[in-house]
Amino acid sequence: MNIEKAKEIVISAINDALEGKAEITEEMQLIGGESLLDSMKLVEVCLALEDLADEHGFEFDWTSEATMSKSRSMFRSVAALAEEFASQSEAK
Amino acid sequence: MIIVTGASRGLGQAIAERLIEKGEDVIGLARSVSGMSIDAIECDVSDYTSVKNAAREVKRMKKPVKAFINAAGVASMNMAVTTDEATVQKLIQTNLVGTIYCCQLFASIMLRQKRGIFINFSTIAVALALKGESVYAASKAGVESFSRTFAREMADFNVRVNCIAPGPIRTDLLRGITDIQIEKITSQQVIPKQFQKSDVCDLVELLLDEKAASLSGQVLNIGGV
Repeated sequence: MNIEKAKEIVISAINDALEGKAEITEEMQLIGGESLLDSMKLVEVCLALEDLADEHGFEFDWTSEATMSKSRSMFRSVAALAEEFASQSEAK
Repeated sequence: MIIVTGASRGLGQAIAERLIEKGEDVIGLARSVSGMSIDAIECDVSDYTSVKNAAREVKRMKKPVKAFINAAGVASMNMAVTTDEATVQKLIQTNLVGTIYCCQLFASIMLRQKRGIFINFSTIAVALALKGESVYAASKAGVESFSRTFAREMADFNVRVNCIAPGPIRTDLLRGITDIQIEKITSQQVIPKQFQKSDVCDLVELLLDEKAASLSGQVLNIGGV
């Protein structure tokens, strides 16, 4: 999966979780004080990405080390999550 | 469907059998499934990949998971100063880390359902600070602490997490423990008697019941402390 497709999927999942109430940018943080997603919404996004990954024939692992690190966390931005999603799709 | 770890013997087996008797669809997880009379998946709870594979297999079944019961555990009754390194590692890895792995990796099924129940196992040795059980009690104190916090993390998703802390129950874990030693422990309980596997099964049933919908993040000490 290319990065543009991954961004499209990730943005759509976040948009669904936020019920279209906010404009989603690639720089938007998904964790921390500035995030529009609370922990419940973030889990919903991850579950949605799990399903979408399944549709694309791979398994999306959101309990990886990349979840934890502050500087490398896949949740540091929409773009980072899309990158991780694309990367996991390539590794299948 | 209800998943029970450590289902090949001891408390896990007793719980699995009781739930089947009550008409529940039970899947047992055990390190060795040969000879088991219930539906089972081979899984070593202390091994992350093994738990992940078991969770994957359960997800593939596409059946709702009503509850996950973490009954797998190992015990060693020794003073800390006489416990060897391998035993310390095994106790922590199986009892504490194993419970965490199972909760983590099976949680996504329940988060998706927005309902579910985790029942974890501690021991009365935590509350009573029983001499000669320091490492075992430490591993289970970790389970209690994890369960209380995990319960808060899961509450938004209508998933309840509780802990049962039995006193000395006659299973393989108590091999070599004399009746006098058992009495010394049970005498410290509020109800000073030895309870049985069936009492633990009763409490499991109680926690699975809708009537326990207000209970989460609790540690239920059998016999009372």
